[in-house]
Amino acid sequence: MRTLRRILHVAANDLRIMVSDKVFFFWTLAFPVLFIVLFAVVFKAGDNAPDEAGIVVVNQDQGRWGAYFIDKIRTPGVAVTVADKEPETYDRLLVLPPEFSARIEARRDQALALKKRENASARAAARVETRLYQAIARTLSELILYGDGDLTKFLDGHPEFRDIVLVESRFPAKTVTVVPSGYDHTIPGTTIQFIMMMVMIYGGISVMEDRKKGILGRLLFSPLSPGGLFRAKLLGRWLMGLLQALMLFTIGRIFVGLNLGNVPLALLVIAVFALAMSALSVFIGSVCSKEDLIIGLSVLLANLFAALGGCWWPNEIVPPAVRTVARISPAYWAMDALHKLTFFRGGFADVAPALAVLGTLAVVLTAVAGKAFRIRD
Amino acid sequence: MRRFVLVLANDIRRHLRSPWTLLIFIAIPLFMTALIGIIFAPRSEGKELPPIPVLVVDNDKGLGSKLLVGAFDADQLKEMFLVTVTDQADGDKRMAKGKASAMVVIPKGFTLDLLEAKPVTLLVVKNPAEQFLPDVVEEFMKTLAVMLSGAVQAFAEEVKGLRAMLDLKLDSFPWERLAPEFGKAQKKVVAAAKYLDPLLIRFKTEETRAAGARPPVSAASIFAVILPGMAIMFLLFIVQTIMRDLLSEREDGKLRRMMTTPLRPLELIGARIAGGWIMGLLVLAVMVAVGTLVFRVAWGPFGYFLLLAAVAAFWTAAFFALFHALVRSRNQAGALGAPIILAFSLFGGSMMNPEVMPKAFKAVGVVTPNRWFIDGAALVREGRFPLLSLAVLFASGLVLLALAVPALRRRISV
Repeated sequence: MRTLRRILHVAANDLRIMVSDKVFFFWTLAFPVLFIVLFAVVFKAGDNAPDEAGIVVVNQDQGRWGAYFIDKIRTPGVAVTVADKEPETYDRLLVLPPEFSARIEARRDQALALKKRENASARAAARVETRLYQAIARTLSELILYGDGDLTKFLDGHPEFRDIVLVESRFPAKTVTVVPSGYDHTIPGTTIQFIMMMVMIYGGISVMEDRKKGILGRLLFSPLSPGGLFRAKLLGRWLMGLLQALMLFTIGRIFVGLNLGNVPLALLVIAVFALAMSALSVFIGSVCSKEDLIIGLSVLLANLFAALGGCWWPNEIVPPAVRTVARISPAYWAMDALHKLTFFRGGFADVAPALAVLGTLAVVLTAVAGKAFRIRD
Repeated sequence: MRRFVLVLANDIRRHLRSPWTLLIFIAIPLFMTALIGIIFAPRSEGKELPPIPVLVVDNDKGLGSKLLVGAFDADQLKEMFLVTVTDQADGDKRMAKGKASAMVVIPKGFTLDLLEAKPVTLLVVKNPAEQFLPDVVEEFMKTLAVMLSGAVQAFAEEVKGLRAMLDLKLDSFPWERLAPEFGKAQKKVVAAAKYLDPLLIRFKTEETRAAGARPPVSAASIFAVILPGMAIMFLLFIVQTIMRDLLSEREDGKLRRMMTTPLRPLELIGARIAGGWIMGLLVLAVMVAVGTLVFRVAWGPFGYFLLLAAVAAFWTAAFFALFHALVRSRNQAGALGAPIILAFSLFGGSMMNPEVMPKAFKAVGVVTPNRWFIDGAALVREGRFPLLSLAVLFASGLVLLALAVPALRRRISV
């Protein structure tokens, strides 16, 4: 019991020293929040997933069919702007030529110019194009229903297209009921990334400096054994990771209504992940003797793990081969578990495999770090 | 001058003797470039996304549902969707685990409802953890639904005959009674062919470029787009690390000992700044070499790029000279340096394509070296001389240098 109290005392002291550093809040709070905002804006409301995909229609048609066709294009999620001539700025532009009506009425085929800006969102373009094809299908169906009659009189009265086959969409039962926001993706991702960065950099450097300055050696004069000291250092770094996650999740909850699903389970995932990272930080701090080397290694590992693990971008856009390789990243398992809790409202059984992988990693890394832990150079 | 050269040569030798930190900081941007390039490299035409895993639950098992499932078998769609036909229970289980982007559920009685031209609803269950791919499936299904609706309406009368057949025993229905229906259907098919072959209204798609816009990123050019951003970010880290000697030597007393030699403060300052500049240039040269050999990056006119790299390395050395003159200790430098570099990189476009960044971020980015270096590299890639980038980086570098030298002199003389 006494040993535990001493371990807790050293760990709490480590945490106090880190928290009293003003820059600590830049790393744990300010910078992650900037990251969260940027990625949320870009991957939610940005060009990648616009709420409304726009198209400009230049209607030069001298008959009535142009306006009729434009009405067919107007559907939810597509913003149609009608213009007389080609504007300078547009993402997608459809030209209805002067003889548009005349050709339809003469049942003569025609190819409409559809211009797409090279750098415009491919996803928005895909949505607009599918709607254009739907508009054509609707128009042609009506023409087929109309039969051989005089098409100049079509718009005075004709059989209307009916949507007989409808499409409804929803999320799986017992999961979310509203479309998750960009923040629901970026807050967990950024939290995982910055736990890796912070714990490895701060934790690694402080272990190295404590050893080099002889602080670890002096601590042995207390009743703590080298094993107890190792556990205290591990605990200090683990608490730091937990503190950071708590701060970011709380801010997310207050300002953007972050919903993690089962919060205790989400914290358990973070706790096991942070333990693995703490062990890695003690290991790096024990084997490296240069601050710059620790920073470099930590930045390299944290960025690689974050990118592979799906902390930066939705994993769905990643090629299948990279998704397979991503399993080597601890961030992948943490993100997988958090996704199951956040989006699928999963329970313990759903996150158990990811927890098992992270737990095994934590045990292995702790054992390795314990072996490498040195009191003196 | 001789003393300046001696200090400079000694510094460079010292850094090259323990290259691990340097190598790691060079490796990071190269690794990141490779990873981002592999993930975001545009795939072949019409394949901008990876294959989309889709589950199809056929609760109908009739002619209509088979036609619908068969639509996924078209060659182009086979590349776009990875379709697995399954039952409801298995589909629900897989969707609950996020094993597919979407699940299409064809309801029971789908074929009969189609034959009777009754409204029928297809259900698309979307993976909530995914943002883009489920929407692609939904849009595709909506297009299929419109086409099916059109076909059902057009042939409503004819399919009524088929519907009647389905309710009767095979031998009890006189097939010859369907002849007039088939006759009508034939006429409609012939009439429809006028609109469908060739399609009465179709598109001639053309890609255009706005005035002053950059060419789009291609699979071949993606590494050339990413690497400059990564290179300038880690150039900042490396030069900061190298120039931190200015503080560490002061803290451990080496500087005081050096100042007892005939070495003049200006010579030492000059050597340190020149050292940062040369090392920065060396690092950029390594990145350019690896970029050219491994990623087949086409940098544009090499002379232009070399000039841009030299000016960027000069700016970086001047900036960190001033930075180390202003901070009090090595710890403070370590604590403040990395956040500044990351902020430069975040706003300046090293971490994300500036074109997709929010306007506020773009505006802040103008005061970062990352932005000017990335813009300059893009111009060089197009074969243009990056005059504005060079002018901004060089002029601001000179200002930083003019501020750094007297500030460092004061520090050294303490």
